[in-house]
Amino acid sequence: MKPLRIIHGALIALVAAAACSSCTAVGPRPWEKDLMARPEMQLVPYPLQTAADEHVYFSKEASSGGRGFAGGGCGCN
Amino acid sequence: MQLKKRKAGRVGRAISAISATLLIATAASCENSAVAQDFYGLDKAGRDNFGPGIAYTEFDGALLIYQEAGGRVQAIEPTANLAIHGARGQQLTLGAVADAVSGATPNGAVPSDRTQTFVTPLKPQGSSTTVTSASGGSTVIQLPPTPGQVASAALGRQYTTAANTLPMDKGFRDHRAALTAGWSQPLGWISEIGGGGGFSREEDYQSITANVRAAKNFNSDNTTISLDLNGEFDSSFPFGGVPTGLSAMNAQFKPVTTRHKTQLGFVLGLTEVMTRNWLMALNYSYDSQKGYQTDPYRVISVVDPVSGEPTSTLYENRPERRKTQSLFWDNKLAFGPTVTELSYRYFTDDWGISSHTVEASERINLAKAWYVEPNVRFYHQNAANFYRAFLVSNAALPAFASSDTRLSRFDAITYGAKIGFRVSGRSELYVRADYYTQSGDGHPANAIGQLRRQDLFAGTKAAIVQVGYQWKFH
Repeated sequence: MKPLRIIHGALIALVAAAACSSCTAVGPRPWEKDLMARPEMQLVPYPLQTAADEHVYFSKEASSGGRGFAGGGCGCN
Repeated sequence: MQLKKRKAGRVGRAISAISATLLIATAASCENSAVAQDFYGLDKAGRDNFGPGIAYTEFDGALLIYQEAGGRVQAIEPTANLAIHGARGQQLTLGAVADAVSGATPNGAVPSDRTQTFVTPLKPQGSSTTVTSASGGSTVIQLPPTPGQVASAALGRQYTTAANTLPMDKGFRDHRAALTAGWSQPLGWISEIGGGGGFSREEDYQSITANVRAAKNFNSDNTTISLDLNGEFDSSFPFGGVPTGLSAMNAQFKPVTTRHKTQLGFVLGLTEVMTRNWLMALNYSYDSQKGYQTDPYRVISVVDPVSGEPTSTLYENRPERRKTQSLFWDNKLAFGPTVTELSYRYFTDDWGISSHTVEASERINLAKAWYVEPNVRFYHQNAANFYRAFLVSNAALPAFASSDTRLSRFDAITYGAKIGFRVSGRSELYVRADYYTQSGDGHPANAIGQLRRQDLFAGTKAAIVQVGYQWKFH
């Protein structure tokens, strides 16, 4: 099944990327993290906005999750 | 990027010395949390500082207003979150959500060039979700009483759809309340370990969720690997009982009142600070769902093979097992006063659905405390292999069939913008508005007779407005 193969390949790539990044110095030095410290650089700076989006899309589309759990916690789908 | 040895001369040594001094100061001040907070609560310019190593609390409140075009679903959803951060990385989060949903929703039947009539169980008087003969364009009808039933109690609800109109049940109304709680903290060599749970209750649905999470930072905290395990246990107790899949729509109460669904899944995540400006996250998710996944209110038309006129209406039926997978790639880029977010998700499941989602937003910090953030989202999905816009009366019934547009092949686009205003160093107010529209094939090649003249895609167009407030304090 093609999509499954793609996903499995991607999963291996993810683990490989994690393994590589652990042994090489990817990323900035501690004193270069000023931009990463900005609140808007968090992956989810506005959790209620993200939750609202995911709630709407979960209710109206067949796909869910990705950023987090695919469950909706409601009967809206 | 690695500094070359020869360049790490006096400047490098000086920076190392400053870093070491800061680390010692941090360690020393942590011994007295009150002092640590006074010191770290304010930066050199006297502004508030919130972040790792500082105890603070964050309150988030928001109000979501959702309105679909054509008088369809309308929802109002107030939400509140409280996150209490400890100085040593502990975090307690509490959340509450309320939902009020009403309006008309497509019942799944095809439009016809004749008037159509549908019957459904009548909510008893005194029910908090009563649909009376005065609301929703419905009328109360007398049914033949079942054995032992008082004739006056054998009532049903009937609603009519005009010719060439998408059949919709206008009696849709629901309320939901949900609570969530979570805890996380560092533990030994594990950078973050925690768990949480949630409880959500609607008038015809209940959901209990639980999750545990572990994460490890390394590579100077530039790399994080995380694993989330999630479980969900849902109960569906639709009004009028649980109909038998692909049986004829009727106004009788069904003997089965409750069905359940369990869902188990995990998310394996990698977060990497790629450069000073670029943050990247890659997630792989897997979920397995077992149990009742049919929409108990949704029906599907059976049409005449020549004229395309509906001859009967059946309840839909979906498989009880579903396995989903997704790969999500997120990027955040900070350049000057802007932050760009670009993400892509590939989703696939064993119902035959696959989808691609691309999202982009550009936050632009303006002078003083204002910022604007336009955003766009593109979505495309394939149909589930049991999706049918209608069934044909001379063909054998399939095991599963649903005419739910959400399971059909369609594209969707969302575009909108957000405006934010930093009220102070501690609080922020924002408002955002988005417009969401789905487009699909309303005239499929297999349409028969009168159906060729009807729009068979019942997609959604919706406006989403959200006002939010964030407040951080020590």
